[in-house]
Amino acid sequence: MTERRLSGVGVTPLSGVGTAVWYAPDAELDAPPEPETVDADAERERFESARDGARAEIRAERERTAERVGEAEAEVFDAHVQFLDDPQISDGVESEIGDGLPAEHAVTRTFDRFVEQFEGMEGRMAERADDLRDVRDRLVRVLIGSDRVDLADLPDGSVVLAERLTPSDTAQLDPERVAGFVTVTGGRTSHAAIFARSLALPAVVGVGEGLHDIEDGSEVVVDGTEGTVTVDPDAETRDAAAGGEDVEITAESVETADGTPIEIAANVGTRADLAPAAERGADGIGLFRTEFLFLDRQSPPDEDEQYEAYLEALEAFPGGRVVVRTLDIGGDKPIEYLDLPEEENPFLGERGIRRSLGPDADLFETQLRALLRAAGSENGGQLSVMLPLVSTVEEVREAQEALKSVAADLEDDGESYAIPEFGVMIETPAAAFLAPDLVDDVDFFSIGTNDLAQYVMAAERGNSRVADLGDYHQPAVLRAIRATVEATEGTDVWVGMCGEMAGDPDLTELLVGLGLDELSMSAVTVPQVKHAVTETTVADARALAERALAASTKAEVLGVLTETTR
Amino acid sequence: MPERVVTIVPEDGLHARPASKFVEAANEFDSEVKVGHVDGDLVNAASMLAVTGLGAAAGEEVRLTAEGDDAEAALDELERILSTPEDEL
Repeated sequence: MTERRLSGVGVTPLSGVGTAVWYAPDAELDAPPEPETVDADAERERFESARDGARAEIRAERERTAERVGEAEAEVFDAHVQFLDDPQISDGVESEIGDGLPAEHAVTRTFDRFVEQFEGMEGRMAERADDLRDVRDRLVRVLIGSDRVDLADLPDGSVVLAERLTPSDTAQLDPERVAGFVTVTGGRTSHAAIFARSLALPAVVGVGEGLHDIEDGSEVVVDGTEGTVTVDPDAETRDAAAGGEDVEITAESVETADGTPIEIAANVGTRADLAPAAERGADGIGLFRTEFLFLDRQSPPDEDEQYEAYLEALEAFPGGRVVVRTLDIGGDKPIEYLDLPEEENPFLGERGIRRSLGPDADLFETQLRALLRAAGSENGGQLSVMLPLVSTVEEVREAQEALKSVAADLEDDGESYAIPEFGVMIETPAAAFLAPDLVDDVDFFSIGTNDLAQYVMAAERGNSRVADLGDYHQPAVLRAIRATVEATEGTDVWVGMCGEMAGDPDLTELLVGLGLDELSMSAVTVPQVKHAVTETTVADARALAERALAASTKAEVLGVLTETTR
Repeated sequence: MPERVVTIVPEDGLHARPASKFVEAANEFDSEVKVGHVDGDLVNAASMLAVTGLGAAAGEEVRLTAEGDDAEAALDELERILSTPEDEL
């Protein structure tokens, strides 16, 4: 058999070899056959036995959830059994089969009617639609004999292939077992890509429809450096991939060849990211995303739980800076207890600091209390607090008022606390334009290039059709970065970058030249970027940045970059 | 036919976990039990789809009816569930 190769976007400089496992959360059906050819009695029997199978599966899942998560969370599966056994479902399926449909189509039609009805209802009732879909898909999978892959329980050496992976899908992947993943859609800054980098998983995204030609069980090589997927690899390809990466890891802080220190930090999105970040030599944490503390649970974490989590991060980097971003949540992330409204454009809606100063003010206060207490702890001097999605000066001032009032409360309560370093993310064009004013109210900026590129270019992340526009090599994005840095010159405000751009070693010289003091990235690229810093001189870097800033097209920017690296 | 009007206590209303307990209980009796808004149509209390489809919220009144040998016992149990705060269920 000869090898076949597909191209996409590589998201980690890592390679892996493994066995393809398709992950398909939704079963797709072929068109139903002619009614005359359907044996209704046989279909009724198929439905009955599928229902028994699905019921057994749901009960098993209930047991597992009760053990792994908790009894309260497991109870949702009781409702699933009740939906499965509901007389209205039985009647509906019976009547569809009577009309000449095979069982799987009868199930789909019947459930979809109710899904639609629940979706039309208000508030929490609408959530039941998700439960119905879940039960429907399970029944259909049992009927057509397709096993859903359990992402948390894959055989060792699996390469997951999927149309797309949601944050909760990727969160289930166990990097000890999974050799990598490949998706049909998605770009370099999609959530799945970011997750792959933080877990150091080989991954290629945006491969396109051709990926569907790869069958379950095929041997595949995922090459994240080249952005390719190879099916039935030759011995040579396989061995090259199994050879792994070639990097030197240093825990020492680094400076340019002419002596300018550049802080190289890691982005951390879960507790599990802390150890790899330290192992790969990060100086600290440049972006501690706190969302993981709030996701996949029934109620928000209390002050003590958060306090412990922040202490844990501080302890992982003694002497290193830990920049904690306050809760950055919006309509794209499902959090049951927050009752997030459905918005037409969640990325332009009420999210980040907008919610923290609005409907989530209580959560914000609790988070600030935990942060100020952590800042007052033994290693607390290294803690910094950062606000997401700032677009006005008022937001920053209002957040500072909230912080002061929390400090006063802690004082009254006799708790030990300290006022941490305070900064904002620069990720909206508004913040970049306002940088000269914002410098008066903050200690630092951190440029979030994923969102900055999305908002500057009006090109959504993860949409491969506009991936070329939302690219951080676009001259408009570079100029927004430069404008931000320029505003800090001659002030005490330091400026970092915590988007994926910061972790691209091919851009390190450019970023040093643009004037960044700190770069924070997924742990996996820390060694490469540290190495790149040591090979850079500020003088050359500035000249490079000047040429890049003069470019009017992305092609010209890329031209400027290649003429120096080659 | 025995009938009762009960005010819903669980804070989520007749939804999620309380609904699940309610339907489970309705299925345990031989009597045919129905539930509905006080001035509305009654639906099968043993159907999760029908019960959650009512969208009955905390503080609202619902009407329960039961027909069969164990009708009173069924109404007692269903009334108990609707009158118990969620965290005590």
